[in-house]
Amino acid sequence: MMAQGFRLIGESTPRMDGIAKVTGQEVYSSDIHFPNMLHARVLKSPYPHARVKRIDVSEAEKLGAIVVTYREVPDVVYCPRLVSTPEATYKDWRVLTGRPLYVGDPIAAVAAESEEMAQRALEAIDVEFEVLEPSFDPLDSMRPEKTSIHERIMYMGKEIKIENNIACTMEIEQGDVEKGFSEADVVLEREYRTNRRYHCQLEPKTAVVRPEPDGGVTIWTTTQSIHNTRLLIHEIFGIPAGKINVVKTALGGAFGSSIQTNIVVPIAVALALKAHKPVRLAYTREEDLHEHCSYQMIFNLKLGAKRDGKLTAGSLEAILDIGAHQIQAYPLLGCLVGWWVSLYKLPNLRYVGKAVYTNKVPSCAMRGFGNPQITWAVESMMDELAEELGIDPVEFKLLNHVGLGDLFWGQGPTVKSIIKSSGVEEIVRRGAKLIGWDKRPKPGEQRGRYRRGIGFGRGFHTSSAGGPVPGTAVDYTGAMLKVNEDGSFDYITALMDCGGGTLTAHAKIIAEEIGVPLECINIVRSDTQTTLYDVCTHASRGVYAGGMAALQVAREVKRKLLELAARVLDAYPHALKIRPDEERSQGVIYVEGVEGREITIGELASMARHKNWGTIAAVASVRQGSCPPHFTAYFVEVEVDTETGKVRPIRVVAGADVGSVINPKLAEGQIHGGFAMGWSMAILEDTPYDPENGDLMNRGFINNYKLPTPADLVPPDRFTVFFANTYEPTGPLGAKGIGEGALNPVAGAVANAIYNAIGIRFYELPITPIKILKALREREGG
Amino acid sequence: MRIRFKLNGREVEAEVEPNTLLLNLLREQFHLTGAKYGCGIGECGACTVLLDGEPILSCLTLAVEVDGREVTTIEGLAGDGELHPLQRAFLEEGAVQCGFCTPGMILTAKALLEENPNPSEDEIREYLKGNLCRCTGYVNIVKAVKKAAEEMAG
Ligand code: FES
Ligand code: FES
Repeated sequence: MMAQGFRLIGESTPRMDGIAKVTGQEVYSSDIHFPNMLHARVLKSPYPHARVKRIDVSEAEKLGAIVVTYREVPDVVYCPRLVSTPEATYKDWRVLTGRPLYVGDPIAAVAAESEEMAQRALEAIDVEFEVLEPSFDPLDSMRPEKTSIHERIMYMGKEIKIENNIACTMEIEQGDVEKGFSEADVVLEREYRTNRRYHCQLEPKTAVVRPEPDGGVTIWTTTQSIHNTRLLIHEIFGIPAGKINVVKTALGGAFGSSIQTNIVVPIAVALALKAHKPVRLAYTREEDLHEHCSYQMIFNLKLGAKRDGKLTAGSLEAILDIGAHQIQAYPLLGCLVGWWVSLYKLPNLRYVGKAVYTNKVPSCAMRGFGNPQITWAVESMMDELAEELGIDPVEFKLLNHVGLGDLFWGQGPTVKSIIKSSGVEEIVRRGAKLIGWDKRPKPGEQRGRYRRGIGFGRGFHTSSAGGPVPGTAVDYTGAMLKVNEDGSFDYITALMDCGGGTLTAHAKIIAEEIGVPLECINIVRSDTQTTLYDVCTHASRGVYAGGMAALQVAREVKRKLLELAARVLDAYPHALKIRPDEERSQGVIYVEGVEGREITIGELASMARHKNWGTIAAVASVRQGSCPPHFTAYFVEVEVDTETGKVRPIRVVAGADVGSVINPKLAEGQIHGGFAMGWSMAILEDTPYDPENGDLMNRGFINNYKLPTPADLVPPDRFTVFFANTYEPTGPLGAKGIGEGALNPVAGAVANAIYNAIGIRFYELPITPIKILKALREREGG
Repeated sequence: MRIRFKLNGREVEAEVEPNTLLLNLLREQFHLTGAKYGCGIGECGACTVLLDGEPILSCLTLAVEVDGREVTTIEGLAGDGELHPLQRAFLEEGAVQCGFCTPGMILTAKALLEENPNPSEDEIREYLKGNLCRCTGYVNIVKAVKKAAEEMAG
C-alpha cells in the first residue's frame, strides 16, 4: 500500500531550522557564552592502566583555578546511558577516577578565567602514578592471568564480580543447530574482524553549566537526550530533578556518541557547583577522539544451506571489545543477535556473545549499534555461500530474507514485533536492474591495472525500540501542541534533531493532519522543565516513534478545533473540514457545500480567548507498540587499482523502504550520508593503538584517521536513490525510520564489489590498499 | 595589541594578544559564532572565513594577521535580509543536516564560484576537499553549489 492523497508528505520542503543554519545563527552548545563564565580543562591519564599514588593540586589553586579531583566528586558509580531498564544496565563509571583505565581517562579538572589560564593550572598539577599492566586485545584480556580492569561493578544496586575481564555475556539457542548443519549441503565457517571506528561528529563534546540561585543547574550540552542528561545529573549529584534544567541546542552531529551523557557534563557540573559560576568545558578534537568510538567485534560465523538455497542453520560467536567501560554492552549483545536473526531465516541457531573490557577508549553505539558490523559479515558470507551453491546472490538472499509477516527482533530478544510492511523485493529487484546486475563481470576474471566490480548488500534497521510488551528498552515520547491566537501552533517536544530534519518531519505530520500550511507550525526551543519525557533520538526512532506523538496531539487539537468551530458555525463537528489558506498563512475551518460558513483558526482561537473557552491544546505521551524495520539495498560499483591497492567508487544505486517518505530530499540525504560512512567503514577508517604506550596511533588527527572528502566519493549523477512504494500501518502517516538502515548494508556491498572486481575476499575491516596489494601479490605473484 | 579591520563590511577595532586566534576573536569578542571549532588544527574546514575574499582557516590564523584587511564570515553573507544564492541553494537541495560544516562549506563554495563561475561537479568536489562533512556524503552539497552557480550566472 502506498501513501496517497497527501499534501505535504512526499514533497521536499526545506528544513525549518535551515535559515538559522545557513546564516550562522543556529546556536550549538559550543556557542553558549556567559560574561562571567569560566573555562575548564581536564587532566587525563597518560597511561592505559594505572593507579594515582599521589596528586597535589596546590600549585594549580595558587594560580587561582578551581580544581576538582576524583577525591571530591560524589562517590557514585553510574552508567552514562539511561535508555535501558535497570535489569539491562551495568554500572562501572565515576565522574573522575584515581584508577585510570585508558589513555585519556579523566582524573581531575580545573576551571579558570580563560582557557589559557586553565591549561596553565592543569600543567601545575602534580601527579604520581603506579603503572599497571594493560590489555589491548579482547582475546588477550580474557586470559585468566591478566590484571582485572574492573574487579567489581554495580548491577541492580549490588556489587558483582567480574571474571576474566568479561563484562557481560548472552547466549541464545533455538532449534537443533547440529541437526541443522548436518542437513546442509554446504556449510561455511569464517572469522570476521571489524575496525574500531570513531564517530567524528563535527562538533566535539561540550558542556556549559550555570549554577542557579536555587541550588540547581542549567545545562547546555551535546546530547541526544536532554531528559536522560537531567536524570543522570540527578543520580550523581542528588540535585532535585526539577532544579536541573537541560536546554535543547542544535547538535553538530552525534551518530550515537551522545546517547549517553558525555563525560564533560558531570565534570562541568562538579566545577560549576564548586566555582559558583558558569563553566564551559569544550573538548578539543584530540580529546574527543579519546572520548568515544564504535565497538570492535570479532565474529565466528557459520551458515549452512541446502542445494535448493534454503538456509538450515547458523551459529554466531561474537567477541566485543568494549574498551574500558560499559556504556551499553549488554543491550548491544541483545541487539547483535537481533540484527543477525532478522536478516535471514535461520530455522536452527546458536548465539554466544561476550563483551570484554580492554584498556582502550570506551566504545558506544555508532549509527547502527552493531548492525553495520554483523550485516557486513553476513552479507559477505551470503555472497560467498551463494557462489558455492551456484545461485545468484540476489535470488539467494530474497529466498531467505526475513520479510512481511515474519517476526522481527527490533532491538534484541526483548523487543519483537511482526513485520507489517516490506518493500524488500521491490528495492532489490529494481536496484539490480538499475545497476545492470546481470552484466556484472565474473569474479577474478579481469586482468590489467584497473578492475571493476559490482557488489550487492542489503539490510535494515529498526525504527524505534517500541514493542507490544515493555522489554528492557525505554521507548516513549511526549508532545504538546497549542493553538495561538493568530492561528499558528506551538509544537513542544524534548526530542532532539541530530541533523536528519526530524523535527521538520514532525511539523509536516502535524500540518498535514490538521490541514494547515506548514509555516503555521512553530517548533519551540525547549528544555527539560517545559517538556514531557522523551527517551532519546536513537534507534532511528525520531520520525516513527516521535512522529507518532506529534500525530496524536495533532489529532486531538484538530478534534477540539472542530468541536469549537461547530458551535460557532452552527454545524456538526464531524461535518467540518479544514483547508490550508496559503495567503492568510493559516487554516480555515469550513462546512463543506455550504457557502460562507467558515472561520479561520486564528479567528476561532481569538474567539476562544474572548469567550474564555480556554487554550486549544493537547498533550500526549506515546509508546509505539511495534518496531518496524526499514529496509535498504545497495548496489555499488567499484574500481580497484591493482598497482596502488586503492578502491574508488564508480556508481551507487540505493533503494530504501522507509514507508511514507516525508521529505524526499532530506531522506535521500540520509542515504548519501549513510553511504559515505559505510564506504569509509569498508576501506578507510580505524583507530589502531600503539602497544608501546597504549595511546591511539592517530592521536588527535582526523586526517590520519581518514574520513572521506568530497573528492573521494561519487558525484551526484552517479548516485541513484529511490524509495519503495510502501506504507507502514503502525507509523505516523505511514512512515518508518531511515537513519541507520541508510548505513548498515554498505560495507557488505562494498566488500562484495571488491571481490567481484579482483576475486579476493577480505575478512577484516578496513580493506586498506596494503591488504589488497598483499592479497593480490600472494595470489598473482610479483 | 590593537588591530583594525573590516568585518562583514564594517570597520571594527579589537584589542588582542599576539597569540589570539582569529577564530577565538570572532567567536568570543564579536560573538560571531558561525565559524566553528571542529579540530583546531586545520583539518576540517569548519572554521573557514574569507580574508580579502580568499578562504582561510581561522583556527590557524592569528588575529593580528587581519589587521588592515577584510574578513567576511557567514553572518556577513546575506545582504539586507536576502539569502545569498548559495545559502538558498543549500537550503533547497537539502545540503544541510546538522549544519556544523555549513558555514565553512558555503564560504569555501563562494570563493570557488568567484574563481570559477561555472564549475563541473568534479571541480566542485575537488575544491571542497578541505571541508569535511560527516552527515551529507557531500552529494547534496555538490548539487547545491552547482545550482547556485547556475542561478548566479542568471
Ligand atoms: S577548526 Fe579550523 S580546520 Fe578544523
Ligand atoms: S551537515 Fe553535519 S557535518 Fe555537514
